[in-house]
Amino acid sequence: MEQFFNITLDLLVGFGETLKIFFVTLAFALPLGLIIAFGSMSKFKPLAALCKAIVWVIRGTPLMLQLIIVYYGPGLVFGQMLLSASVAVYITFSINYACYFSEIYRGGIESISKGQYEAGQVLGMTKTEVFFKVILLQVIKRIIAPMSNEIITLVKDTSLARVVTYYELIYFAQRYIKNAGLLWPLFYTAIYYLVFTAVLTLLFGWLEKKLDYFKA
Amino acid sequence: MNILEVKNLRKRFGDTEVLKGVSFSLKKGEVLSIIGSSGGGKTTLLRCLNFLEKANSGDIIVNDKTVYSAKEGEKPVVSQEAQLSFGLVFQQFNLFPQYSVKENLMLAPKLRTKRKDTLGQRETMGEISERADMLLEKVGLTEKADSYPCQLSGGQQQRVAIARALMLSPEILCFDEPTSSLDPELTGEVLKVIRSLKDSERTMIIVTHEMEFARNVSDRVIFIADGVIEEEGTPEEVFGNPKSIKTRNFLSAGKEG
Repeated sequence: MEQFFNITLDLLVGFGETLKIFFVTLAFALPLGLIIAFGSMSKFKPLAALCKAIVWVIRGTPLMLQLIIVYYGPGLVFGQMLLSASVAVYITFSINYACYFSEIYRGGIESISKGQYEAGQVLGMTKTEVFFKVILLQVIKRIIAPMSNEIITLVKDTSLARVVTYYELIYFAQRYIKNAGLLWPLFYTAIYYLVFTAVLTLLFGWLEKKLDYFKA
Repeated sequence: MNILEVKNLRKRFGDTEVLKGVSFSLKKGEVLSIIGSSGGGKTTLLRCLNFLEKANSGDIIVNDKTVYSAKEGEKPVVSQEAQLSFGLVFQQFNLFPQYSVKENLMLAPKLRTKRKDTLGQRETMGEISERADMLLEKVGLTEKADSYPCQLSGGQQQRVAIARALMLSPEILCFDEPTSSLDPELTGEVLKVIRSLKDSERTMIIVTHEMEFARNVSDRVIFIADGVIEEEGTPEEVFGNPKSIKTRNFLSAGKEG
């Protein structure tokens, strides 16, 4: 019993590391995704092409491979490691998820009727005002479902960070196999992921309800 | 004095010339109806006046001030006051769904007050709110102030849209087929509001398919066909004794259909 308690606490520390990746990635990828979305919708063709190319490369290659390239790549090119494991993980996850988010944003923004922009314009509002005061909340309402999908995937993708020696939940659990011959802690990690995704699911459900008062 | 003067407005989309040099003027308090078949250029004309489309060439003069001036192949010059000289009520209402009726009215004036480069007087929030209440009363929707657009009928939404446009006190209020997306039984309440605006001497331009209404409410009627003004005159002249064959055909087709 004491062993179970201690391992639970130890895994909680590992889960803390997992959460770090989760929250840092969201903090950077949510705004960065919006910037990439605007870039790929830009009327300036080279910028749009560049953004679309980035999204293609990032979405077209495995996240695990991207982690390895960002972490070990500088070592191969410059002869020395430039990034710590955690920084490499944060950068890679942020860029990777920003690209996925950008496509969701783009779909959401393009689905808003032109009339909303025009109504804002004829009322003398600036483009920025129209976007932030009129368009954004409608976009958020429309993208909650795909975003919650992506964000829940992120919870589980954090386990990939292990390949570049970032010590997260799965790594913590796997040590018990090597050091103590215990397999169950690894299976036990599922509970942590499940509880956390349950919390997120409730949160998204709440947000969806909160925005139910209007139709867009 | 003319409140509005439009000179030789031309607009192309790709190779298609939609407006082929349209000129007209409008006196203060006058109500002008623009009629014509679909694709003739009426809506494009209205959209050019509201700068939703940039005319390729021509001038728009409000109160003797050129607010828009374009020459072929050059970048058009739009003055700052230009946008606020005109108000526009859309066929599809285009209310902001996430805001209540009163918030829809107050949003743009509130933002205008907050903005640093505000033209004209700055209003306090209290003044804006008071004006919103007044206009809601005018369109008969006082009790709907806290409702959301999705809770309103089409006719009520369009009345909110009219009040919202009036919040900016435009010199000229434009309507783009204001009743075309309404069920027939709801057009009456919207037309009644427009008529009451005429009684308070508001200058208006109305693009409409409601011939009876155009006949009753307008001081002047313009018939547009193929991007040019085919006929212009008082309702009696245009409806009662049209000079052009195109006008006659258009009006008689309407009666039969």
